[in-house]
Amino acid sequence: MGGFENSLNALVLLANFVLVPALAYGSQLALGAVGVTLIFGILRFANFAHGDTMAFGTMVTIFCTWALQSAGISAGPLPTALLALPVGILATIALVLLTDRFVFRFYRKRRSPPVIYIVASVGVMFMLNGLVRLLIGPDDRKFTDGERFVISAREFKQSTGLAEGLSIQTTQALTIGVAILAVALLFWFLQKTRTGKSMRAFSDNEDLALLCGIDPDRVVRVAWILAAVLAVLAGVLYGLDKSFKPFIYFNLLLPFFAAAILGGIGQPVGAIVGGYIVAFTEVTATYAYKQLAVYLLPSGWVPDGLLQFLSTDYKFAISFIILVLVLLIRPTGIFRGRVL
Amino acid sequence: MDEEDIRKALTAFGLIGLGLVLTGLLQSWNAALGVLNLCLISGVMALGLNIQWGYAGLFNAGVMAFTAVGGMTAVLVSYPPVVEAWQVGAGGLLASVLALVVTALVTGFVYRRLPAGRKRFWLITLVALLGYLVVRSLFGEAVQLIEAVNPARTGFLGGLGLPILFSWLAGGLVAAALAWFIGRISLGLRADYLAIATLGIAEIVISILKNEDWLVRGVKNVTGLPRPVPYEVELQQSDWFASVISWVYSGRLENAADQRAVLAELMIPASSIFVKLCYTGLFATVTLLLLVLANRVAQAPWGRMMRAIRDNEAAAAAMGKDVVARHRQAFIVGSAVIGLAGAMLTTLDGQFTPGGYNPLRYTFLVWVMVIVGGSGHNLGAILGGFIIWFVWVEAEPVSLFVMRQITDLIPMEPASAYHLMASAPHMRHFVMGLVLLLVLRYSPRGVLAEK
Amino acid sequence: MQNRNLLLILAVLIIAGAVYFMTAEQQKKDQDIKMGVILGFTGPIESLTPGMADSAELAFAEVSESGALLGGAKITPLRADSTCVDAAAATAAAERLITSDNVAGIMGADCSGVTTAVANNVAVPNGVVMVSPSATSPALTTIDDKGYFFRTAPSDARQGEVLAAVLKDRGISEVAVTYTNNDYGKGFADAFVAAFEAAGGSVSVTTSHEEGKGDYAAEVGALAASGSDTLVVLGYSDGGGRGIIQASLDADSFQQFAVGDGMISQALIDGISGDLTGLIGTLPGSDAAGAKMFLDLAASKGKDGDGPYRAESYDAAALMMLAMQAGGNAERETVAKNLMAVANAPGTEIFPGELAKGLKILADGGQVNYQGATNVELTDVGEAAGSYKELEVKNNKFETVSIR
Repeated sequence: MGGFENSLNALVLLANFVLVPALAYGSQLALGAVGVTLIFGILRFANFAHGDTMAFGTMVTIFCTWALQSAGISAGPLPTALLALPVGILATIALVLLTDRFVFRFYRKRRSPPVIYIVASVGVMFMLNGLVRLLIGPDDRKFTDGERFVISAREFKQSTGLAEGLSIQTTQALTIGVAILAVALLFWFLQKTRTGKSMRAFSDNEDLALLCGIDPDRVVRVAWILAAVLAVLAGVLYGLDKSFKPFIYFNLLLPFFAAAILGGIGQPVGAIVGGYIVAFTEVTATYAYKQLAVYLLPSGWVPDGLLQFLSTDYKFAISFIILVLVLLIRPTGIFRGRVL
Repeated sequence: MDEEDIRKALTAFGLIGLGLVLTGLLQSWNAALGVLNLCLISGVMALGLNIQWGYAGLFNAGVMAFTAVGGMTAVLVSYPPVVEAWQVGAGGLLASVLALVVTALVTGFVYRRLPAGRKRFWLITLVALLGYLVVRSLFGEAVQLIEAVNPARTGFLGGLGLPILFSWLAGGLVAAALAWFIGRISLGLRADYLAIATLGIAEIVISILKNEDWLVRGVKNVTGLPRPVPYEVELQQSDWFASVISWVYSGRLENAADQRAVLAELMIPASSIFVKLCYTGLFATVTLLLLVLANRVAQAPWGRMMRAIRDNEAAAAAMGKDVVARHRQAFIVGSAVIGLAGAMLTTLDGQFTPGGYNPLRYTFLVWVMVIVGGSGHNLGAILGGFIIWFVWVEAEPVSLFVMRQITDLIPMEPASAYHLMASAPHMRHFVMGLVLLLVLRYSPRGVLAEK
Repeated sequence: MQNRNLLLILAVLIIAGAVYFMTAEQQKKDQDIKMGVILGFTGPIESLTPGMADSAELAFAEVSESGALLGGAKITPLRADSTCVDAAAATAAAERLITSDNVAGIMGADCSGVTTAVANNVAVPNGVVMVSPSATSPALTTIDDKGYFFRTAPSDARQGEVLAAVLKDRGISEVAVTYTNNDYGKGFADAFVAAFEAAGGSVSVTTSHEEGKGDYAAEVGALAASGSDTLVVLGYSDGGGRGIIQASLDADSFQQFAVGDGMISQALIDGISGDLTGLIGTLPGSDAAGAKMFLDLAASKGKDGDGPYRAESYDAAALMMLAMQAGGNAERETVAKNLMAVANAPGTEIFPGELAKGLKILADGGQVNYQGATNVELTDVGEAAGSYKELEVKNNKFETVSIR
């Protein structure tokens, strides 16, 4: 094996185990974190029900996917769930607008302190938690169909002759693609449209925005709708890429918060960057670099250990360790969001 | 507490008492006492959270972590030491602690001696990295040795072998130490931050407890912790208990044909009830003691100051009050109380299962207790603990019953009927959410409102 | 003022409802024999438990319909939620079943932690038998159960040895191991690693994976970096274990997979996109006949018998009823005293679907040796003795290769 081939192998190895999975996971986190951060920017509270909202939207999408599948409708090489997505989004928009009407609006009118909103969102979280399990049950659901791979590892090895394979799943490619599209649309909306601009104004300085004649109810409504759309996108993409289980979706709440705070809460750009940083840190910190060393170092130099910074036992804790570090060093986050 | 307050408290506790008595009559006295014991523990947890939320307005979403370290302390205090593990691993652990201290000292030395700048940054990074590697290898080796000692039964250092009652105090102290650390990181920022930070740190604490097997066996659980009260089976065989029971049931025994068989029959539930009553006595003593203390503190100048800070932070700060320091005090004291409750819970269970701690049950449920019972009202928080635990336990049979009625009344496919029955346990969460939202909206100060 | 009255009325309503409900329940009592089914219907293994409870209830229904139990007695199964993790809630649920519903025995609990709590705090003190279908922790072998705790799932310590022997016999000398991070996975992994290393094999890396996290790319990355060709997965077929295998297949990382009993399920093969041919595994039981009969029985009742611990659940339920029949009444003591006798030789072998036959033999004074779906054989401490099937995936199905 030549040195060049070795470095190619090392590169492919990194791409396969670090780059592609982290990009896909990061995209899912980014979508969710933007939702959390939008609600924070406009309504000024950390929404503990976001994970369960996501589960709700995904659940509706799954029901609709099953209906489509039994009707024989498919999206060709792409997952059928994409066709069902609009229904899930509409249902979730209805859900969040209803919860806003019956739960959060009351406290907004009374100008309650933010902590009360958090408590209320915990209530919503509990109810959604029960509702989702009541409707679809607690089981693990797979609803992915269509082509599985864009490039499969085995094909890659055969066509390139390298020792390492690179696999890109359709769902991973789709996740990254949809995330980019959604984020681009979101920024276009926030920067260019009148409603988007009024939202930014509202987020920056509520009183000033009210003085300028911005309708607060409308801004809040749009924020909920955007958060719902993003939550369902994140949920469905995550479900397609891995699988749907209500319990998992509740757990995702914590990485979302970590990403949003890391980026600077209230800052959509920050949430996206935060999502990718959390995902990349999780994957790189727990990746074992031994195989990489085998390719890159002279043969006698390769150490015995796995060359792992942190055991995967603590993978889930990484996002919180990041969170704590941010709190200690720079509480405003990377993009100077609001200090909570 | 004024007159109306007392009347309300009496009514509320009366209703709960009625519920428990009904449980006792209709289900069994054992079940009722079991619920009561957990009501008491829940009450203490809620009391602790109330000190943080009700007095200082701090949103602690890490109740689970304090409960868990309290439980961990119960193991560390009461489990007999595993001598062999100490022999093989203690040296290595000590060495790694020494290495850690040395690293910290060198880092500090570099930090103080060198001027700020790039050179200092890199040097510190280098020292920290080297130190980390040394500590990790020393530590890893010791841990491997310890965990290899009879892994199916022990594989950890064990505890001090002291009576488990000591751990209640110790659990509070350990929880307080953890709270001090968390408080340093996140107090002084706005409320949401504390919420998210504590939520995250709680997860870190749980994952440490789950993965550091040398400490408290991790996910392999520690079972069979010594009890502070007698064991049922021993009671059933002891003479004094037999004589007590034959005295209590003397009427029934006289008429019985086979006295010994009837006595043995009676002793089984009686021994369970006796054990539970012992626990009830212990827990009730702690609860009352804490309640009296908390009320004292609340009426003292400290309590008035806390409420002033909570109601208007800016004004209190302008008056020269150190808001962050006061918050830290409330946070630490509240966490200590939660830690104590955690130790009591582990004592009652007789085992420590780190995998069992999840935020819905150990954090958010306690929140529902405080909000329902009455934020800022000590007795109210305890009442909330009683109400919510009662509802939480009884929600399952009730929702099963409701579902059965629905499936009986409405004709439907067997598959959907089955689905409804199977999802009955999940109604628990739904009901809890609903109760929380209703109380928050229509009676936001809870059942017993703060004056 | 108004608020308080509202709350008061609400509370009175709730209590009135509870009274109504409890008295209504009370009336339903007393005719049938009650059996408790305590499993974690909510919590981390909530996706496994409905299938387990269904399987146990298959056995209860089979006996009730046969009319052969104690001269035509009917069984009413009562489900209760162990939550898998919350010892307090599990204890409360068990307390209710035992002291209020007066169950004659308990099928459960599931997770080793809550099982220990229920056994120590409720079942043993009240003299009620528990037969757990899935608590496999080695620690349960030695709890002081006074003869009231049994399990149809063998201790993981034994299975670890068997799996290690299977791999060694196939000439595999280096493996990477991943286990689900709970007492089952950890205990199993400890036993396996010890046995494998004692047999001269080497374990390149051991990592845990959490259930309910969804993303396992990092774990697979670390496992693959070990350079081993074989991956041992000790997890659940509908959870992290499946996720790990899927991610390894996607990355084309391992040549060979070996799995433990929690992973053996057709759902694993169906749920994974990719070829699992050659995957090997171990499963308690020594004969395919009983397992096959159980699957057919379940299918005929419209249930799916294929899944972790479902067969064990059926067996656990069946054992308790046979024990009652052997003793001639539905007392708790009877179940405890006769359970070992019906589970082990001598006697006529009884398989799933043949419970009526077994009950008749017992009624006529004969003896049975319940084999069931998992070839039940209890050791003197009351747990499955642990003969194991070595399975291999061929043509998208698990096939028995040999018995160990």
